[in-house]
Amino acid sequence: MSSEPLLRVENLKTQFFTDAGTVRAVDGISFEVHEGEIVGLVGESGAGKSVASMSLLRLVEHPGEIVGGEITYRGETIFGLEEGPDGELREREDMLSNEAVRDRIRGNEIAVIFQDPMESLNPVFTVGGQLREFIELNRDLSGKEARAEAIRMLREVGIPDPEERYEEYPHQFSGGMRQRVLIAMALACEPSLIIADEPTTALDVTVEGQIIDLVDDLQEKYGTSFIWVTHDMGVVAEICDRVNVMYLGEVIEQAPVDELFHDTKHPYTQALLNSMPRPDRTVGELEPIEGVMPEAISPPSGCRFHPRCPDAREVCQRVHPEPKEVARADGYPHNAACVKHDAFDVGYDESPPLEAEPRLTAGTPGGEDGE
Amino acid sequence: MGLLRYTLYRLLQAIPVLIGITIITFLLANLAPGDPVRLMLQGQEVDEELIETIEQRYGLDQPLHERYITYMSGLVQGDFGHSIHRNQPVSDLMLSRLGPTLLLVLSAYAFAIATAIPLGIFAATRRNDPADHISRIVALIGVSTPSFWIGIMLILLFAVQLGWLPSSGLVYPWWGPEAYDWIDTWPELLYQTARHLLLPMVALGTLQMATLMRVERTQMIESLQGEYVKLARAYGVPERTILRKHAFQVAQLPIITIIGLNLSTALGGAVLIEYVFNINGMGRLFIEAIQSLDYQLIMGITIVIGTMFVIGVIITDISYAYIDPRVTYGEEE
Repeated sequence: MSSEPLLRVENLKTQFFTDAGTVRAVDGISFEVHEGEIVGLVGESGAGKSVASMSLLRLVEHPGEIVGGEITYRGETIFGLEEGPDGELREREDMLSNEAVRDRIRGNEIAVIFQDPMESLNPVFTVGGQLREFIELNRDLSGKEARAEAIRMLREVGIPDPEERYEEYPHQFSGGMRQRVLIAMALACEPSLIIADEPTTALDVTVEGQIIDLVDDLQEKYGTSFIWVTHDMGVVAEICDRVNVMYLGEVIEQAPVDELFHDTKHPYTQALLNSMPRPDRTVGELEPIEGVMPEAISPPSGCRFHPRCPDAREVCQRVHPEPKEVARADGYPHNAACVKHDAFDVGYDESPPLEAEPRLTAGTPGGEDGE
Repeated sequence: MGLLRYTLYRLLQAIPVLIGITIITFLLANLAPGDPVRLMLQGQEVDEELIETIEQRYGLDQPLHERYITYMSGLVQGDFGHSIHRNQPVSDLMLSRLGPTLLLVLSAYAFAIATAIPLGIFAATRRNDPADHISRIVALIGVSTPSFWIGIMLILLFAVQLGWLPSSGLVYPWWGPEAYDWIDTWPELLYQTARHLLLPMVALGTLQMATLMRVERTQMIESLQGEYVKLARAYGVPERTILRKHAFQVAQLPIITIIGLNLSTALGGAVLIEYVFNINGMGRLFIEAIQSLDYQLIMGITIVIGTMFVIGVIITDISYAYIDPRVTYGEEE
């Protein structure tokens, strides 16, 4: 961690207050994004990746709310709490107002590419009109200049005949072309950080490949940082510099990409990698991860992964591991939240193994208290 | 010129519909029990010969299909026939009554749209708040109360009890102030028109308002949850612009359909409202025509109202195609 990071997220907690109870969708995650790098946010559906990325823009939808932690972008506080005189938590003085986040951060500084290119564009406005609106809103360009810039960006993302396509409506574009339009929107606002929320999940594999190559080229050209949200380890390997693996609202492993793949430190990450087909390994059968991810409304005690973990021991039911540095690579720490590493020293080695069959559901004995 | 071709195409499509309307109405009117000539004579004792003469004169002695053909050959030349009961050309009768009905229906629609859309958006943005619940109850009452009853209640309250507004009749602005000896100037004429129009307009428009308001609310809620709204928010578009532009435009598409299709309900409602408020429009003329079994008049009015409805639907379709870029004009078949 040489220079000051572009974005720093510290112990971020986002919760949803539903009738059934409080859902701890994001439960104390920390990570950093540096200038010019692509940081992966990986995990299964429901791990809290999208909620985490929307929290960065303070766009969590009702009944969700950011309840704790700190988000700092280039020294400005997007979110931060402090203790008031009577012990109550209150928003910090230097936290940006709603208007400031809307006018100065969203689009200008941090742009988003959403998952579903079919639904993300407004069906009743032309593609060019929508692109121009965002450019006018987030840059000092207007009218003709904004239009010219929009056309330039459409060309930049590889849309043929951008002048004609500018006047067309989203339904006249294919899925891959629409995703290119969304990428053009993000880049056209000249942000320093782009959150790509599963941008290729809805596309077929060949188009996915093209889009990833495109982003790779443009990232190099513009030097924009990315947070790449995905469940696909293959995409991670291809595009990311550093990776955060999320499980049930927590970041359980954090490392530079090569380190993560070659020296995996968390059993969940290992399980994710084993469950994925890899051209460099011939296996008879893929190994799925046993069970399903429990719900974030009542996470298992101790380590949240222990009901599905092949390495789980008795101690894993009791001790909730915070991520700790277990190795170092390229000047970055390799953090993992698993007590089997020496850094934890809670008696994993002496602890008896949990009985073979991993449990399939969330309701584990030992109560609800995960912290 | 896709839109022009589409319009022509839709107009051509309307022709068989209109022919269908004439056949059904002709059969219904002529097969209804009763004899128009005897009804006209109001029970006076006359000899059969006279009745036969009258029947012959109006072609009532011909078989049904021949009468239909005769009628249609007149119709295509713009001749709606002759009212046997009133002894006047049907087209003259209708022409004098079309204005008030159009004025009533259009103002009721204007009232409904102008109130329903803001109220629907308001309810959508305050979903499940007390304001939303109140609007739901108001809409439920509006949908389930017959318009003529609302009309009678409005008369009782605003005309009889409070005496603020007139209870019957209309003042026609197209007649000019000269036509009324109690009105001198144009502004006064328009003021009187508005005063007379207010109660029937509200009575007829309430149902439309209630329906539209609920649809507007649902559509806005759905539209506000769209991914494109999320995207606009993520790019710093102010909430007001999202509401007015991004969400609103998409939400209006079904509203336009409802407005077009409800034209039939509104025209039907106008018949009763004209009766309640004593307005000399097509609706009243229609009821009188039915009561006197005035075949030609019944036919004429049904055809005109049917045409108005068909045109309404065509306008709906065309504006839909104009507003929603996804609707093609049917050339890609």
